[in-house]
Amino acid sequence: MKRCGWLMVALVPFVLFGGCGPKPGTPDTGGKKKLTVCMLPKKKGVPYFTSCAQGAEEAAKELGNVELIYDGPTDGAAEKSASMIEKWTLQGVDVIAVSPNDPEVVSPAMRKAREKGIKVITWDADGATDAREFFVNQATAQEIGYGLVDTMAKDLGGAEPEGEVAIITATLTAANQNAWIKFMKERMAKYPKMKLVALQPSSEDQKLAFQVAQDLMKAHPNLKGIFGISSVAFPGAAEAVKQAGKSGKVLVTGLATPNDMKAYVKDGTVKSVILWNTPDLGYLTVRVAHDLATGALKPGATSIQVGRLGEKKIEGDNVLLGKLLVFTKENIDQYDF
Amino acid sequence: MKALFRRYPHEWILVGLLTGLLLAAWRLDPPFVSVGTQAELSTHIWEMALLTVPMTLIIITAGIDLSVGATMALCAVVLGMTFERGTPVAVASLLAILTGLACGFLNGVFVAKVRVHPLIVTLATMSAYRGIAEGLSLAKPVSGFPASFAFIGRGEWHGISVPGLIVALAMLAAWVVLNRSVLGRFLFAIGHNETASRFSGVPVDRIKLLLYSLAGTSAGLAAVMFVSRRNTAKADIATGMELDVVTAVVLGGASLFGGRGRIVGTLLGVLLIHETREYVSWRWQNDELILVVIGALLIVSVLVNTLLTRRQAVS
Repeated sequence: MKRCGWLMVALVPFVLFGGCGPKPGTPDTGGKKKLTVCMLPKKKGVPYFTSCAQGAEEAAKELGNVELIYDGPTDGAAEKSASMIEKWTLQGVDVIAVSPNDPEVVSPAMRKAREKGIKVITWDADGATDAREFFVNQATAQEIGYGLVDTMAKDLGGAEPEGEVAIITATLTAANQNAWIKFMKERMAKYPKMKLVALQPSSEDQKLAFQVAQDLMKAHPNLKGIFGISSVAFPGAAEAVKQAGKSGKVLVTGLATPNDMKAYVKDGTVKSVILWNTPDLGYLTVRVAHDLATGALKPGATSIQVGRLGEKKIEGDNVLLGKLLVFTKENIDQYDF
Repeated sequence: MKALFRRYPHEWILVGLLTGLLLAAWRLDPPFVSVGTQAELSTHIWEMALLTVPMTLIIITAGIDLSVGATMALCAVVLGMTFERGTPVAVASLLAILTGLACGFLNGVFVAKVRVHPLIVTLATMSAYRGIAEGLSLAKPVSGFPASFAFIGRGEWHGISVPGLIVALAMLAAWVVLNRSVLGRFLFAIGHNETASRFSGVPVDRIKLLLYSLAGTSAGLAAVMFVSRRNTAKADIATGMELDVVTAVVLGGASLFGGRGRIVGTLLGVLLIHETREYVSWRWQNDELILVVIGALLIVSVLVNTLLTRRQAVS
């Protein structure tokens, strides 16, 4: 028995050695010839970011000399994002593209990466402006806020769209959503008969959004429209309207990926879904990262050539993806993300 | 040597695994094993390492505390909110640690006095404390702590990492208690047979109250370390921390049925989990894979351990 135990301990390192042999296709992060671009989503494994990653992969393949690492915390914890940035800094990668889920937590790590000579950009959401060189911006808050209200107005129909509407947001402190709400309110002045009767949080929880939508319909029997302005508030609200049998009577619109909303668009609960082209966002991010690393893109540039997307405008240090997409019954089947 | 191995078979397995891992890493990715890299990566582990100390003691008494992560979050929120309202950061930190003490004490009261199973009690307080933290802070993060505050979470004292020193002292204290004190013998006695311990005059309830209070206080201290290191206090920190901590302790050879556990084993468990996680992340850049590997590691270690102890019992 004694000998057997010793043998096991002695064997352990060899077992590990055997199991850890270099595998074909694993990223060689120390390589000099290829540019290593690390792309960090807020949360890995959610449809929105996975669809961004598709476009990023496409750009990396097209460019040929980009080794793309797409990784992020599966639980969306900001401190894990920071740890990943720190790890990439130690590995000496070329570019880190971050979608910060909490700028305060992630920015120190981003600054440290920049001190080590690594190019840092943000995408999808911005961080502290001194912690990155460019922000790949999918849409300005104004475009989104105005777009939401205009779409609702169009869906309600008529020369003067009329009715009570409500907003279901993520949390009352979510920075993105609050900026959109500000512009939504501004735009509603254009439609005097559209009346905002409620603004409710749903804390990024689809079940809660479902309940909130049910309560709103009870509290406001004349409700004509609901804005679900987070990717979970929107399907939650749509499901509530559908189950209440009010499809078509209470219109729901908001931001979500088309695949999440296809069923509701087809049964008429939702007339329009608004979002940017997420694969294009990933594609643009990798292109910007590449050009920044090669020196083709310098601070102060006013435009950038990005492969199949053509020329994109740069305002200050914001690279703009431009144009929101509106998905309706007619076109939603053309998109798969 | 053979006697040493027979006394500590589990510890040797962990040492073997750890050496194997580091050797493999050294052969495949030399920069990973460098002192600079290891020092930088070690900052990710201190809070978890600190919490394994009281958890080891609790698990030896056949208890468990699942609320440590939530307690940490609540303490961080208390720290952040009191600081935001003008309290000096040192006082705010003290308040955070006291909050941890209160949380742990409450767990202790339910476990020791009301005699509810610790799994149920701390499962309940896990969600309650997290809820209070979310509710108080409305999920709003607080930052902007003074630079001097970073000393606790990131600082160095004569070239030694301050949080590392805190953890080392905690582990040393726990080692002394477990191996050189009457209290330590009592812990094992409670874990082996609580009823018999009671009849033998072991102050079971007081010890339990002490242990859970200690876990809460440690969570408070861990929260201070975390906030100091990341310069942010918010309600969603340390989510899932309790499972990491329990995993490290069990990997370290402690038995969830009580009566068995060593602080050295826990230390090795922490190191093994830490190095495995960092190396998998370093080489394969895949967050999902880490979860799978840690799970596999736990199962293999427990299997080997069971196999060894069973054979020893037979031979």
